[in-house]
Amino acid sequence: MATPNETSINVFGAALTRRNFVKAGGALFVGFGMVGADSLKNAAQAATTKNSLDATLPESWIEIHPDNTILIRTGKSDFGQSTTFTAYRQIVAEELNAPFEAITTVVMGDTDRTPDGSGAFDFLGSGTPNIRKAAAYTYQALLDLASQQLGVPRAELSVKDGVVSGGGKSMSYGDLVKGQQLKLTIPVKGDLTSIMGLAVDGNPPMKPVSQYTVVGKSYRNSVTASKVAAKETWATDVRLPDMLHARMVHPKSLGSTLVSAGALDKTKFPNAQVVVKGNLVGVVAPTEWEAIRAAQQVAAATKWKDWKGLPGHTRLFDYLKRDADWKTTRVTKSDKSKGDVAPAMAAAAKKLSATYQLPYMKHSPMGPTMAVADVRKDGTVYVYTHNQNPQALRGELAQMLSTTPDNIVVRTFAGPGHYGRSNGGNAGAEDEAVILSKAVGRPVRVQWMRPEDFKWSTQSPAAMSDVEIGLDANGKMVAYQVDHYMPAMQDDRPIGAVLAGLPTMPAPNEKAVFIGSTVNDPQDPWIYDGVVTLLEQGHGTFQVGQKASPLTVGLRDHSMRTPGQFQQNFPRELAVSEAAALAGVDAIQFRLDHTKEERVIGVLKAVREASGWETRPSPRSKAAASGTTPVRGQGVSVMFRSATYWACVSQISVTPSTGAIVVEKMTIAVDPGIVVNPMQLKRQVEGGTMMGISHALLEELQFDESGITTRDWRTYPILKMADIPEVKVVLLNRPDVGTYGGGSEAANALAAPAIAAALFDATGKIARRLPLKPAYVQALLKV
Amino acid sequence: MVTMVVNGDRREIQAPTDTPLLYVLRNDLQLSGPQFGCGLSQCGACSVLLDGKEIRSCTTPLSAAVGKEVTTLEGLPARWAKQKSLSQGDAEQTLHPVQQAWIEEQTPLCGFCQNGMMIKATELLERVATPTVAEIKEAFTTSGPSAHLCRCGSYTAIIEAVQRAAEIAAKGGK
Repeated sequence: MATPNETSINVFGAALTRRNFVKAGGALFVGFGMVGADSLKNAAQAATTKNSLDATLPESWIEIHPDNTILIRTGKSDFGQSTTFTAYRQIVAEELNAPFEAITTVVMGDTDRTPDGSGAFDFLGSGTPNIRKAAAYTYQALLDLASQQLGVPRAELSVKDGVVSGGGKSMSYGDLVKGQQLKLTIPVKGDLTSIMGLAVDGNPPMKPVSQYTVVGKSYRNSVTASKVAAKETWATDVRLPDMLHARMVHPKSLGSTLVSAGALDKTKFPNAQVVVKGNLVGVVAPTEWEAIRAAQQVAAATKWKDWKGLPGHTRLFDYLKRDADWKTTRVTKSDKSKGDVAPAMAAAAKKLSATYQLPYMKHSPMGPTMAVADVRKDGTVYVYTHNQNPQALRGELAQMLSTTPDNIVVRTFAGPGHYGRSNGGNAGAEDEAVILSKAVGRPVRVQWMRPEDFKWSTQSPAAMSDVEIGLDANGKMVAYQVDHYMPAMQDDRPIGAVLAGLPTMPAPNEKAVFIGSTVNDPQDPWIYDGVVTLLEQGHGTFQVGQKASPLTVGLRDHSMRTPGQFQQNFPRELAVSEAAALAGVDAIQFRLDHTKEERVIGVLKAVREASGWETRPSPRSKAAASGTTPVRGQGVSVMFRSATYWACVSQISVTPSTGAIVVEKMTIAVDPGIVVNPMQLKRQVEGGTMMGISHALLEELQFDESGITTRDWRTYPILKMADIPEVKVVLLNRPDVGTYGGGSEAANALAAPAIAAALFDATGKIARRLPLKPAYVQALLKV
Repeated sequence: MVTMVVNGDRREIQAPTDTPLLYVLRNDLQLSGPQFGCGLSQCGACSVLLDGKEIRSCTTPLSAAVGKEVTTLEGLPARWAKQKSLSQGDAEQTLHPVQQAWIEEQTPLCGFCQNGMMIKATELLERVATPTVAEIKEAFTTSGPSAHLCRCGSYTAIIEAVQRAAEIAAKGGK
């Protein structure tokens, strides 16, 4: 190889270096590689150079091939949001001025094949995802290349559909990169294996929204066709040579330590093997059916210590109110808190004072957690899974094995949606698969059964909130105080590592920052700026049972779709509807009277118009709390999340004598700023709305003093098709906002406060606890 | 060793006959359409057609399928081609109307449950060419061993896709 003759130019803070030409017939593609430019690598902490791409290299994000096809990479794993296959392709195509169809390949969530980390949340990065900035840098570099190669000043170049033109000449992107070795180094910051991963830094010029041609159209999800035709490789399909199937034998309770593992009946299961490490027991066998039956036999013969240390779900809120430790963890206050609430409350003409309660809920993916691990003799570990945060998992597995992340590779495949982090930092069984594979020296596939997914995965934490609202003589809110109480939500410890006694991050505690912290921050951005005095406080505590359990686990919690904000928005929105009734004002008008935020007003007016809302105070004049005739009601809720404004109207009927609620119609108005893909956003909102109805009406984790008793879809029913309402989604496209908001969360949280407000409208009775099951509603209406 | 017909082909199986059909399909025959969802006949992710009727392969032992005809998601295009007597060339290019509709309506979110949804839709449309919304809801909720569950909440999209599939089928699959 000749010594490169390098020339370097500055591209909006990135460095583009052009080397010598590659010999004819060289590499099939030449993207952009890295040269020096160490100054640009600022504080970024790639966990390793081995088994990682360098995030400072655009070629780690985007490859432009000589045949004009484009490949993009993202560390984020699509969990059913569709964003990586639709919005990301559109955003990159837009910034590059290339056709959507040119982006033929999306690589996601493989720790050795994708540059950044972070999880399956906030895909649109509150308006500027990493991939957009990477594309913007790449576009600027392409302009510089074209300027050089065409001999035309940058300012005189124009680009359309991946072809650069100027001075009467033109070249495609493929021709621009063909036969060259080009290096562009972009600035990144952050920590690869942290929860948030790396972020592309700097401010490359972005395409003006007014010139968008790709964003805003309903392109199809490219992975749908392969899933529908059974051609997709799911994580559940991964089979490695010499692989063993495994089933786990989990402890009898959330605090049970192992007395003795059951002996395997070798006459019945000649090929199976039991693996024990600390309190972790697993059974491996060459066939899945032998593994299942052998594990059942071993489980029946395994002895565990008995343990009781949970309040049981019927006493949960008594426990949280009276017994939980809310003192060790610092109390937090929202940024928007203002003024002196106490005197304003004391002087109020009317007052509302109430407590709201949400139960533990399960993420409950349709497929129980599973993973395949291959711990090789040289110490490298390959994990094949469907994972919420592959880089963070990589760090956790490295910690568990007391090795460095560069020895761990996590590969992501399609899998069931998890709606958050349903089992520690990962999808679930990766750590157990690694432990078993290391023990037996062969690849191992761990598949949890349905009951253990309910019993041993993490849950969305229960919460309660005390709300006080003061109204003046004109019915205006002059004081609002809320105290939110919730056990620690972000428990990222892999459960297999905990049971095996291997290193993990500490159990949730008051000193940790974010992950593993017991601090309960206000998470529901305040939108009623017309309220003069406001105090929003968060109170946190340890996970229920955590301190008492010898396993230090208790009821493990982790973030579930709209995490924390769901727990805080339900009390706020229901309380505001109650305050509207106290003021004798229509619930939508009351909200409009208390906000000046234009986009809040926009979603409220849109949902009012689209839903057929009756403008009047609640409860309705024909409200009834008794009788066998169904009564109808309407309710509203509002939320700001992930740079998106949401409003929801629920119209229901309820039969007082039975307490049965039928949700008849849901209308949701969404203002995300720029709507990237209307079809995909609509499907996301519809799905989230269904999940929200399910949360509101049906879902509650059941547990006794020893552990979780919810075990299947009968004990944890979710919404069925026969019970769905009419759904109307109103998308408010606001290009003037200039950013993309997220659409995959929030919808699941909007239903509960709207349905509860509709129940009040219909009956005059307030249900302040979820779920709104018939027995609860029936009892409430009798009071 | 036992035999059964899977997606039109006669297959010989070595597994113990008490093995749930799901594991035979996935592990012995490398068919990845049916998914393990619950192992309890409570969700529908593992559904296949057994002699044209939707069953739950997670609780159906291999012995119950011996000598019978199993259709999985992979086999839907060939099933449609056979029903319509399509030429081999056409058959290779044609997805089942249900699969086409699922793509056109962008029905799956995560897609994990959609195998069972498409199998159920196929069974329904073979019985009722143009089902009403009430018939669709009944089919997916109460007609089988359990409701077909979707945690992503794609039910609206499924109803729209079943109706679209009926239209596509009525036009001969195009």
